[in-house]
This record gives sequence, C-alpha cells and structure tokens, in this order.
Amino acid sequence: MWLPVLGLIIGIALGLLSNFSIPDEYSNYLSIAVLAALDTLFGGIRAHLQNIYDEKVFVSGFFFNIALAASLAFLGVHLGVDLYLAAVFAFGVRLFQNIAVIRRILITKWSSK
Amino acid sequence: MISFTVITIIIGFMLAIQFQSVKKPVVRDTRDTWELREDLQKEMELQSKLIREIRSNEEKLANYETERTQGQEQTLRNTLEELKEEAGLTDVSGPGVKIELDLIDNALIFDQGQQMLSPELLRRLLNEINMYGAKHVSIGGQRVINTTVIREIAGETKINGRSLRNFPVEILVITEDMKTARNLYNRMLVSNASEEFFIDNLKMTVLEPQLKITIPAYEDSIRIRNIEPVKSDKGGN
Repeated sequence: MWLPVLGLIIGIALGLLSNFSIPDEYSNYLSIAVLAALDTLFGGIRAHLQNIYDEKVFVSGFFFNIALAASLAFLGVHLGVDLYLAAVFAFGVRLFQNIAVIRRILITKWSSK
Repeated sequence: MISFTVITIIIGFMLAIQFQSVKKPVVRDTRDTWELREDLQKEMELQSKLIREIRSNEEKLANYETERTQGQEQTLRNTLEELKEEAGLTDVSGPGVKIELDLIDNALIFDQGQQMLSPELLRRLLNEINMYGAKHVSIGGQRVINTTVIREIAGETKINGRSLRNFPVEILVITEDMKTARNLYNRMLVSNASEEFFIDNLKMTVLEPQLKITIPAYEDSIRIRNIEPVKSDKGGN
C-alpha cells in the first residue's frame, strides 16, 4: 500500500533534482497529460477499493489517456479550437466522480468497523 | 503493484516538471498605473527635497562669501594689496610698450672700448617714459620703484644693485590703457632719446604696443631709513 506513495515521492524528487523544464509552448500538453495521469491514478485506486482492479486495464488506460489527451490538445492547437478544454472537462469530471466514490467507500469502511 | 508504483513514479516526475516549468517567471513588475504614479510622486518629493537642500546650502555659501568680502579684514587686505601693487611688490600685467636697447653692429663702432649704458641716459629715458604716462616700468628684468637707484659703480651701470651688462636691455612699460600705450609709443618714436643713445653706440627700438605685458615684482624688501610719519597736531594738520 505504501509502495505507490513512495513511488510518487521518488518521482517528484527525481523531477525536482533533474532541474528539467520544458518550453512554454509544450507546457499545455504536459499539464493535460498530468491531468490524465491523475485521473487514471484515482481510477485505479477506486478500482482497487472496489476489488475490480485489473493491471492491464490500468496501465493501458494510463498511457492511452495521456496519449489521447496530448493528441487532442495538439489537434486543438492546429484547428484553432481549444479542444484541450474538452479533455480538461472530461478528466476533471471523472476525477471528481472517482474521488467521490473513493470517499464513499472509505466512509462505509470506517463506519462498518 | 509494481506497475502501479512505476506509474506513480512517472506521475510524480511529470508533476515536478510541470511545477518547475510553471514556476519559472518569478520576478515581474506587476505595479499598475496608480502604484507607478505613487512611486513617481515619492521620487519627485525626494528630488524637490534635495533641491531645497542644495538651494539652502548655496544661500549659506553666498552669505559667507558676502560676509567675507564686506568684512573689515577684507577691506584691510584689499588696501594692503593695493598698496603693495602701488609700491611694486607684485607682478603686474597690462597693456604696454616694449623698448629694446641694443648695441649697434660692430662695423659701425669706431671706438672699440667697452660699450656701456650710461646711467644718465637711462635716467633721462625713464623720466621721459614716466612723463608720457607709464604706470609700471622694469629695466632689464628689474622693477623700477620709487626708491630705485640707477648709478655707475666701478664702471658698470647698476639698477637696484644689479648690473646691466647683457645687451639687449629690455625696458617694459605698462600704461593705464591701450590708448595711452599707443600715445607713448608714438612719442617714443619721435623722441630725442634714440639719437642720444646712438651717440653711445646704442640702438633704441620701440616695439608696437601690446595688450599684455607682464612686469616682475621688486625682488628685495624695501628698506626705508631716515623717514618717519609726520606727527599731526590735535584737530588738524
């Protein structure tokens, strides 16, 4: 259970220590990729709590979502339409839903104890 | 579980990079017009304060200057300066005329004896120059003052105790203004002195008046013997 948290900390430390930064015009893509990744992460946590967690679905979903979000943003830039807002909206709604489900599950777990 | 960890590592990495990229522009001048105006006003107040300070200091300086010039001490100093200048203790410059006394070319000299400038002639020349409005005179670099003596000692003409041996002897004359200088020049051109010097195998050349001629100060201290101020009676003289 603590391994993912440790991984998150290691990742953040790596990112901060590497002193790596991306140019301004690509920060859009990265932000939406981060959003997608978070969405997948919380989805995974929810699935785990609901005991329907499938590793293949999780990993493929992670990469597929990121790729989709990035390509949507790319398309939006080239069409002159802010398509990445669609991705932001979708991911945002799902993020809230996932977190709400996680919360409910945790509450039922706590109260049943 | 391991794949989950790997993915969290990737997410952490992405988050960190996103943070760093967004954090970059830190220092920006975000003051709006009003704030800028206030800052400008502050600076202007400072400026006016400094200007006031400068002005007051300048006023003080001017006050001190006037006090100094109007003070009694300064008056005395001025008088002393004037007297010194009159007595010939300072260097003087002004418009004037230059006169040169030189030997006539050797071919013309019949008498091969030592050439000398006779004190008698020099005194006469000096009188003439003084008559035509000279204010300060120097002969051969020696300032002529009231007590200057021109005389012959052991076959040499001396002025202020110094020999006039080297020809040409330069006589510098300073006059009141350029007009007087021109006058003096014209009078000297037609003066008899030239012929009198010629008899002594000397040639007198009067040079054009110049705007600036500098005459050196009297070198020695002035000693006055046998002279004392007149004691005036009470209430009058």
